Amino acid sequence: MSDMSKLEKWKGALNKCIRCGYCYEHCPIYKSTRWEIDSPRGKLILLYGLLSGEIEPSEYVAGKLMECFHCGRCQKACSSGVPIQDVYQDARELLIEAGFEVPGTTSQTDADVCALCLNCVRMCKHEARSFVDGRIVTDLLKCQSCGSCLDVCPKQGVTIGRGFGTNPDELEREVAAFFADGRNPEAKAIVFSCGWSNYPGMQTANYEPDAATAEYKVLVTVCSGRIRSETILSTLDAGAWGVLVVSCPEEDCEHGGSPRVKARVEALLKPLAAIGVDPGRVQVAEVAQGNPKKFLEVTQAFMKDVRALGPLLARSEA
Amino acid sequence: MSDINFEKLKAIVGEAGVLSDPADLYVYGSDSSVHEGTPHAIVRPQNTGQVQQLLRYADEERIPVIPRGSGSGMCGQAVPVRGGIILDMKAMNRILEINPQDGYCRVEPGVVDDDLNRALKPHGVFYPPTPASSVVATIGGEIANNASGTRSVKYGAARDAILAMKVVLAGGELVSLGATTRVAASGYPLERLMVGSEGTLGVIVEATLRFVPIPKLRCLGIAMFNVLGEAGDAISEIMGSGCQPSMLELVDKVAITAANKAENLGLPEVEAILLFEADGLAKETIDPEIEKFRTICERHNGFGLEFSYDEKERTRIFAARSKLFPSLSKYDERLASTSLADDMAVPFSKMAETANKIHEIAERNGLVMTAYGHCGAGCMHTKILMDTEKGTQWEAAQRAVKEIYEYVLSVGGTTSAEHGIGLSKAGAFKREKAAVLDLMRGIKKVFDPNNIMNPGKLMDGPDDWVGETHLRYQKS
Ligand SMILES: Cc1cc2nc3c(=O)[nH]c(=O)nc-3n(C[C@H](O)[C@H](O)[C@H](O)COP(=O)(O)OP(=O)(O)OC[C@H]3O[C@@H](n4cnc5c(N)ncnc54)[C@H](O)[C@@H]3O)c2cc1C
Ligand code: SF4
Ligand code: SF4
Ligand code: SF4
Repeated sequence: MSDMSKLEKWKGALNKCIRCGYCYEHCPIYKSTRWEIDSPRGKLILLYGLLSGEIEPSEYVAGKLMECFHCGRCQKACSSGVPIQDVYQDARELLIEAGFEVPGTTSQTDADVCALCLNCVRMCKHEARSFVDGRIVTDLLKCQSCGSCLDVCPKQGVTIGRGFGTNPDELEREVAAFFADGRNPEAKAIVFSCGWSNYPGMQTANYEPDAATAEYKVLVTVCSGRIRSETILSTLDAGAWGVLVVSCPEEDCEHGGSPRVKARVEALLKPLAAIGVDPGRVQVAEVAQGNPKKFLEVTQAFMKDVRALGPLLARSEA
Repeated sequence: MSDINFEKLKAIVGEAGVLSDPADLYVYGSDSSVHEGTPHAIVRPQNTGQVQQLLRYADEERIPVIPRGSGSGMCGQAVPVRGGIILDMKAMNRILEINPQDGYCRVEPGVVDDDLNRALKPHGVFYPPTPASSVVATIGGEIANNASGTRSVKYGAARDAILAMKVVLAGGELVSLGATTRVAASGYPLERLMVGSEGTLGVIVEATLRFVPIPKLRCLGIAMFNVLGEAGDAISEIMGSGCQPSMLELVDKVAITAANKAENLGLPEVEAILLFEADGLAKETIDPEIEKFRTICERHNGFGLEFSYDEKERTRIFAARSKLFPSLSKYDERLASTSLADDMAVPFSKMAETANKIHEIAERNGLVMTAYGHCGAGCMHTKILMDTEKGTQWEAAQRAVKEIYEYVLSVGGTTSAEHGIGLSKAGAFKREKAAVLDLMRGIKKVFDPNNIMNPGKLMDGPDDWVGETHLRYQKS
């Protein structure tokens, strides 16, 4: 059995957590599943149990700890100043030492597919990828789950197993549902928002008339750099009049996603223009974390443009 | 209780709606209180039909069922003391209808308070109970606890916002209580019985709530006092003089010191601060309220008076209150902020005396305690800041809690203003309600003959919350 008593140094911090749940609404993982164990508070309670010996370390427990997008929102929102991320990180280390190497939300490489081009190793800003014994390995403690490596793999051999709604296929399903035959009559656009920058909206409630009158839907991606050209095109194809990608300001972006998505959209606009798609339909805007006002402003400005442009499919057919 | 048939549970809510890993059971064993328990299963129903089937099964097998919203209760209301099934209501999270014309909305119980208010805002209205925990608390939990908040002094608590309700009873029967109309005089108001029932009578699966218009203007004022008793006298006079505050909050010196220490607010370290808000359509109606507040505070030696309609200024003035809660956990590295004797209500005229008494009891027992609260509603809160590693501190806390409630009852107060009873306040509650406990048990028996709904709480809760319950700070 592993020695979880090393968590003892965090006992004070764990006692400080008043279990208020103020960290809930900020966590994209919790928002996606709404199970207590997926909330930042739930994870701290887990650690409390490990420390007190009330629960045993296990694959399941390690998996829960490894599921995190490292956005740090929980820590910023914490009412009691608990250094949540540091506590998690130490716990992860202990669980890995104890032999529970569970990938969680970290990126994994399929050795059968990997071309050993090392693009991903070069791309990772966190030195989490390396080439060892003829294959690519991910350092589970360093990986921030940003998905940049997935983005640059020419073979699509890198995956993040559990995306909690942020993987491209999950995003594309949400887009399709939003535009599905007349379900939301006002539907006009999709806003892909970086999970590290800013995203508004309900915590967990579901209000259908809201969706029915909504002109756009905000979908959270882990890093704006993960929004692929295919996703943008399939969104337009699904019926969107326009697509807005909200990223962090370049200087704040720790994963290189912001410049990448800008370059990608830039490159996409040319061929789109060639088939008559106005460049105003696909935009990128920068919003820093903790600036909901700016988020609203850029979204409203974008929607104004999109309304003026009208439906895309009708226009290109005309 | 028989063994839980997991196949049966999965057949009702689907494979993905049942958790049973020991880690999940542990995490769902606690809420925001100091208590811990261990359930046998966590089950998440998606709709009323599933709740009915689950309760039918649980009743037949005599398995305890504990409804749970967000687990932000401060007294162990959602802690499973006798095992059983935690009914996680977070998937029943739809806002079903907002009807501005008839002045009501219908929601499922798992809707979070802030989400409801976000959806109501475009209609120019709000759902007023809004506890400080509105970012997490669910409507089901708020009703079951009779939650209230800073503006309840004018707009009422959860109790006042309820029009009607759908409830699944133990055994699976679905009943509709109350009426959608504003007035109803049709027999026993059973919907009100659910308010404050803490999950012991049935599962709320839908609530019809009233809302009120968002006021056009708000003006917030602050006054300082060098003598706590004088702040208390000001409160009684404000409330006795026909003033209509939309908020009246008291913050004591411990809390001010904590806020300064933790957040560097630079507040004057006076004995007490009063915050007062008036709202309405026009300055012509608000200004006279503020003027009354000013005169009364000055008469009781209040000073440093400030008022503002400006939102930014109001936020600055309100920092003394809004930063209070987080500050308490940062007050001293060695002390944890525990929810014990966390709330009570006393007559307006006893507010100051109560605050003084809390300090006196804390000091006598070697504890740090603060007193603050929605004093315009007679509501007083405390937190015990203690070294949870020391057994002697628990003993001291236990003595202090007992003394506080003895005092509260002696001045005509009541055990809980808004946080509920659960486990930690059960002893005091049972002393207060001694004469009607059998009546309450009788009511429970009619609703829940086999005692499966959140057993071991309220009138059946422990007399000794330290000895009879497992505390999160103890090793198992
Ligand atoms: C930081 C903080 C600040 C707080 N501030 C306030 C405040 O200002 N005012 C206030 O009143 N409270 C406050 N509280 C206490 C708490 O948030 C409220 O009591 C809240 O209403 C609980 O809601 P919940 O969804 O978390 O309920 P839970 O804690 O999950 O459950 C509470 C009780 O309700 C029952 N219940 C839940 N859902 C249902 C249902 N659908 N049917 C039947 N029973 C159900 C449960 O069985 C349990 O007994 C605060 C708590 C915290 C942590
Ligand atoms: S860092 Fe982000 S993803 Fe991870 S637990 Fe905190 S809020 Fe959730
Ligand atoms: S916000 Fe902080 S204190 Fe509150 S539950 Fe989360 S980690 Fe604990
Ligand atoms: S690029 Fe991002 S996802 Fe890939 S290994 Fe590095 S941190 Fe992890």
